[in-house]
Amino acid sequence: MSSIEVLGLSVRAGSATLISDVSLSVDAGTWCTVIGPNGAGKTTLVETVAGLRRSSHGTVTLSGESVSAMNERQRALRVAVVPQHPTIPFGMSVHDYVSLGRTAYHGLLRAPSAADRRCVGDVLERLSLTEFAARDVATLSGGERQRMVLARALAQATTVMVLDEPITGLDLRHQIAILELLQNEVRECGLTVLATLHDLTLAGQFADRLVLLDQGRLVLDGPSGEVVRSRELAECYGMELRVIDVDGADVVIPVRH
Amino acid sequence: MLVVGATLAALVVAMVCGLVIGPTSIATMRVIGDVFSHLGLGHSTLTPTQSEIIWQLRAPRMVLGLLAGAMLAVAGGTYQGVFRNPLADPYLLGVAAGAGLGATIAIVDVGGAVVTPSWTPILAFVGALLAVAVTWAIGGRGLRSSTATLILAGVAVASLFTSAQTFLQQQSSTTSLARVYIWLLGSLASASWSSVTLVLPYVVVCVVICVAAGRALDVMSVGEDESRSLGLPVRRVRLIVIVASSLGTAAIVSAVGLIGFVGIIVPHIVRLLVGTSYRRILPISVAFGAAFLVFADTIARTVLAPSELPLGVVTAIVGAPVFVIILSLRRPMAP
Repeated sequence: MSSIEVLGLSVRAGSATLISDVSLSVDAGTWCTVIGPNGAGKTTLVETVAGLRRSSHGTVTLSGESVSAMNERQRALRVAVVPQHPTIPFGMSVHDYVSLGRTAYHGLLRAPSAADRRCVGDVLERLSLTEFAARDVATLSGGERQRMVLARALAQATTVMVLDEPITGLDLRHQIAILELLQNEVRECGLTVLATLHDLTLAGQFADRLVLLDQGRLVLDGPSGEVVRSRELAECYGMELRVIDVDGADVVIPVRH
Repeated sequence: MLVVGATLAALVVAMVCGLVIGPTSIATMRVIGDVFSHLGLGHSTLTPTQSEIIWQLRAPRMVLGLLAGAMLAVAGGTYQGVFRNPLADPYLLGVAAGAGLGATIAIVDVGGAVVTPSWTPILAFVGALLAVAVTWAIGGRGLRSSTATLILAGVAVASLFTSAQTFLQQQSSTTSLARVYIWLLGSLASASWSSVTLVLPYVVVCVVICVAAGRALDVMSVGEDESRSLGLPVRRVRLIVIVASSLGTAAIVSAVGLIGFVGIIVPHIVRLLVGTSYRRILPISVAFGAAFLVFADTIARTVLAPSELPLGVVTAIVGAPVFVIILSLRRPMAP
């Protein structure tokens, strides 16, 4: 069953068309990554799927329900978002930050319930953040911070998670760590992931499927191995690309002339 | 806990000061005894005149000070949260300019009369709400309208109302000009039980709404898009909170004029003491603001007695050093 269904989606901002006529569907418990050059419309696509932007045409449904028909709370119970540049509030503890993920459950006038606190405790544990729980969010390193943002999204306990460039600014080890955590949630817990990534090698290694966008249009949609080897990929970036198999993993390298 | 206890103690001390200190000296214990006698405990030893001074002059003034301080402080804290802007104060969206224009219209209109007309508060109240409504109409619409648009709209509306007010003042006589000026500086001197009962319902309802919004404002500290994705109906929360803060502020301003500094500095002092969570900042600001303003008013009416210092001047003179001292003791934190 498809968890995310995008049908003929177009998004305009003023006179500019950000994405036009994009259709795709992501099966429950799978990982789909959107790739493409800067300005291709990747962020617009994932923000619209998360209901943070309105579409001009077309529909987005999550498990059969239209995203635009949901209110904020209903959406927060179905899709969690890891933004590209999360706002890190001053003076808040890691525990309180991750607890924000439970807002839709306990509401705005009530304190988190025992179940909410248990869920936050579990997520902190799962992401090895327990020792940081009391720390001020501003004191974390980039890698710890990103893990914390992921923890907040996991605390929402949704079936769908949308991530916009979740590994920007992280070193190699932390990039892999974040992606492996996510992969684990997909495999163990049946999470459905829609992410954007710039790193084509990592995109290919961690997604079940790649969707290539260029200038707001969907160019290619298929299994990772096929998309990274496609002629269209090289054309979209305007570069010659070479794909090398290293122990069964596709490594994408740009060729310079 | 320490901060809560200290704030509540300061509140009680401020209330006692508000009743006890004044040009007619009445022993503190006799005043306290009189308060208890009104609660049915023991007997009062005050003369009828002294009782009159306490209950018809000082008590309503003290209570109005509590209400004004509580409302301005909590409104300022709420504005700082909803706009995520440390410079936000209750007058940000034009309440002050609107009230100023309303009061000016009321006062200059009567030309040569020697008193400020009794309906000045009504025009000030209407002006304040009108200014905020215009600001909201210009800057608050659309799903993705940012708070920056709203603040800019507030600046524009405030300048428009202020220039209209300046024009009226320039056209008016020197005596009415002086009265407008006195009104603008803010004072609790005209406090009475009727002014207390007039503003009380607004202040109670608005303070309760603002304090209840603490959790929502904490969520909002991650920005509008993120708080929406966490399930917060940002636009509705913003509207409710702004209406509550503005309505309460308008009621207070119409009763006591423009008292500056409390709304911006009290929430910051409290933030430095208890951290950045609005669930703590807002309720403590209510008590702190109330105590602070009653203290300031006690100074305002005693230092140069029988004449009075403008309350807005005292709040700044007392508040600024307090703020600097706390700032230097604690690492500054952004809201």
